[in-house]
Amino acid sequence: MSRYIIRRIFSVLPTLIGVTFVIFMFQRLIPGDPAVAMLGEHATEENVERIREQFGLNRPLFLDREALVENDIAGFFDSQYIRYMKRLFVLDMGESIHRRIPVAETLGLRFPATIELSLLAMFIAILIGIPVGIVSAAKRNSLIDSVSMVGSLVGVSMPIFWLGLMEIMLFAVIWQWLPAGGRISTGVELQEITHLYLLDSLITGNFEAFKDVLSHIIMPAIALATIPMGIIARMTRSSMLDVLQEDYVRTAKAKGLGRNLVLFRHALKNAALPVITIIGLQMGTLLAGAVLTETIFAWPGIGRWVYDGILGRDYPIVQGGTLVIALVFVAVNFFVDIMYALLDPRIRYD
Amino acid sequence: MTEITPKEITVTDFAVREHRSLWMDAWRRLLASNTARLGMFIVGLFVFSAVFAHYFWEYNPKIDLDYSLKLKPPTLVANEEVPSVHIFGTDKLGRDIFRRVVHGGWNSLRVGIVAVGISLFFGGLIGLFAGFYENINMTFVERLTLFGLTGFMMGILSAWIAAQPIQAIFMTTLGVAAAYYKDFYPDSLKRTAIFALAGFLLSALPGFFISFTVGWVVGVWGALTGVLLSRPLEGKFFSNVMMRLMDIVLSFPGYLLAIAIVAFLGPGLSKGMIAIGVVGIPVYARLTRSAVLSVIQKEYILAAQSVGEAHSRIIFRHLTPNILSPIIVQTTMGLANAILSAAALGFLGLGAIPPEPEWGAMLGDSYRYLTSGAWWAVLFPGLAIMLSVLGFNLLGDGLRDALDPKLRT
Repeated sequence: MSRYIIRRIFSVLPTLIGVTFVIFMFQRLIPGDPAVAMLGEHATEENVERIREQFGLNRPLFLDREALVENDIAGFFDSQYIRYMKRLFVLDMGESIHRRIPVAETLGLRFPATIELSLLAMFIAILIGIPVGIVSAAKRNSLIDSVSMVGSLVGVSMPIFWLGLMEIMLFAVIWQWLPAGGRISTGVELQEITHLYLLDSLITGNFEAFKDVLSHIIMPAIALATIPMGIIARMTRSSMLDVLQEDYVRTAKAKGLGRNLVLFRHALKNAALPVITIIGLQMGTLLAGAVLTETIFAWPGIGRWVYDGILGRDYPIVQGGTLVIALVFVAVNFFVDIMYALLDPRIRYD
Repeated sequence: MTEITPKEITVTDFAVREHRSLWMDAWRRLLASNTARLGMFIVGLFVFSAVFAHYFWEYNPKIDLDYSLKLKPPTLVANEEVPSVHIFGTDKLGRDIFRRVVHGGWNSLRVGIVAVGISLFFGGLIGLFAGFYENINMTFVERLTLFGLTGFMMGILSAWIAAQPIQAIFMTTLGVAAAYYKDFYPDSLKRTAIFALAGFLLSALPGFFISFTVGWVVGVWGALTGVLLSRPLEGKFFSNVMMRLMDIVLSFPGYLLAIAIVAFLGPGLSKGMIAIGVVGIPVYARLTRSAVLSVIQKEYILAAQSVGEAHSRIIFRHLTPNILSPIIVQTTMGLANAILSAAALGFLGLGAIPPEPEWGAMLGDSYRYLTSGAWWAVLFPGLAIMLSVLGFNLLGDGLRDALDPKLRT
C-alpha cells in the first residue's frame, strides 16, 4: 500500500509541474508588457527598464542559450520560469500590482472563506443528494423517482449565478430575511481561531455571531450546492441500482431480511465507492464555481478576488489564485485515488 | 367461434420480421421515453428559434436603444406609459428583453457547437489512437513514425539550444534507426549504451562548434534521447504521454481554466468558444479511450486484424461505429455544459462584447438593477439559459437510456 502511495506521489509530480507551467505561460499570453502594466502607460523608459530588471522580465522564458554560448551554465538555467519556480518554493507569488500587498498574504486570509463556503455547500449537497438517490433507487420508476431525477437534472442544469441572483431577489430584496452579501455583519464581534467563522463562533460559544454568520453563508452555500447535489443524487441512484441487481442482495432478501436492512447494510455500503469518488471530484468543481457565487454574494474568498484581479488586470493575483485552486484540485483527486484503493481491496496497487 | 383453416395462416408472418437497424431501435426507445421527448421538444424549440430568428425578425443590436422605455416591467397590452408591448419587460437601455433573449439563442448555440466540435475532434482522435495502440502491436511503418517523431521532438530542444537545425534531423534519423534495428541486442545494456553514445555524439559534435559548454549540454540531452530511443517503445508509451498531457489540462477545474484563458486572451465570443473547447478536450479523450478499451478485445477486431486490414481502416471502420453511443451521449451533455460555461463567461463580462445579445452578458448587465426591483431583466435571460441547458441534459439522459438498453430493465 505504501508503495502504491509513493508511486502515486511520483505520478502527480509531472502534473504539478505542468500546472505551474501553464499558469506561468499565462503571463506571456498577456498582450503588452507586464512592466508597463505595473507602472502605467506614462512611465519613463528608465523606470520600465528598472522594473524589468527587478522582476527578471528581461531574462529569457525557459532557458538562456545566449549564456550557454558564453560557457555560463548557471546563467543557462537562470530563466524566468526557473526563478518563478524558485519563488514558489518559498511561497512567494509576487505582489498585487495595484495594492502592493503580497499575494500569498491575501491568499492566507481569503482561502479559509472559500473553504468554509465550499465545505458547507458540499455538506448540504451530500445531506440532500444521497437520501434522494437512495429513495429513487429503492422506488424505481415510481413518481418519486421521476420527480427527483428530473429535479436533480434541473439542479445540474442550473446557472448558479442566476440562482444566486434569484435568491437575493426573493430573500434579501422582497422578503428581506437574509443579508444580500458579505460574510459577517459589521459590529459583530468574533474571535478568529480557525478563520472558519462558523466553527470559530461555535468554539467560542458566541451564538450571536453564529446566527449572523449562518444568515450570511446560507444563500451562497445553497446556490453553490445545487450542481453537486444533482450529480450526487444521480450517481447514488445509478450506483444503488447496479448493486441492487447483485446476487447477494437477492440472497439477503430471500433470507427474509428487512427492506431497510438490505438497503442500508448490504446495498449502500457497496454502492458508496463511486459516490465517494464523485464527491471528491465535485469538491474541485465547487472551488471553481466559487468564482461566480462569490462575485454575486460579495463573499471575500479567492473566487471573487480572482474575478477582481481579472477585471483590474492584476495578473499576480489571477496567477496565485488559479494556482491555489488547481493545486487543491490535484490534491483532492490524489486523495480520492488513495481512498479508492483503501476502500476497495479489489483494486490492484500496481 | 370461427375456425381458422390452415390456408389463412401465411407462413411469411412467422418467418419474416420487419428489418430494424440498431439505430432504429434506439430511436424507438428514445421516442418512448417521456423525459427524452421533453428534452427533444426544448432542444427543438431552442434550435429553431436560434437559427430562424434572424430570418423572420431582423435585429440590429447596435441601434436598439430607447431611453424613454428604460427598465419597464413586463406588459401584455400597450398602455399610455408604455406604448409598445414587452412581454419580458425592457432593460436598462430600454431594449425589449424578449427580443434579445430570442436573438441571444444563436450566440449560445454557436458557442456550444464550436466548443464541443473542438473538444470532440481533438479529444476523440487522441482517445481513439491512444486506446487503439495501447492494445494493438504497431506495424513496422507506425513504429518508424513513432520513433522518428520522438527523436524529432527531443532533437528540437538541442537544435534550439545550439541553434543548429541539423540536430533535429540527426535525432529523427537516430529514432528511425532505432526502430529499424529493433532486434539489435534487444533488452540489453549494450543496446542502451550504444544508442546513448550515438545520441551523445550526434548531438554534441555540432554543439562543440558553437562552444564547449553548449556541446556538453546538448550532448547530455542527446545521450538521454538515445537511452529513451533504445527502449522498445510501443503504443503504450504514446498513450501514456498523451494521457498525462490530458491529466494536466484536467487538473484545472472546469471553466476556471476557460475563465483564465479568456482573461488573458481578452474577451470575445470566439475566444470563449476556443477556451471552452480546449478545456473539454481531455474529457472526450478519456471517454473515447475507455470506450475503445472496452471493445478492443472483441472478436470482430481480432477478425479484422487477422484478415490483414489496415490499422486506419480498423479504427475508422470497425472501432468508431461501435463506440459511438457513449460519445453521442457525452456530446449532447457537453453542449449543455458549453452553453452554461459560455453564460458564465458572459456574466463575468468575458464573453460576447456588448451590445451583442448573449444570455450570460444580459444577466451581468442587469443584475445591479435587482435591488431597485427590476426582477424581469434577470429572470428571463436566466430562465432561457436554464431551460436550454436542461433540454440538452434531458435529451442526453434519454439518449443514454436509448442507446444502452442494458442499463434499464
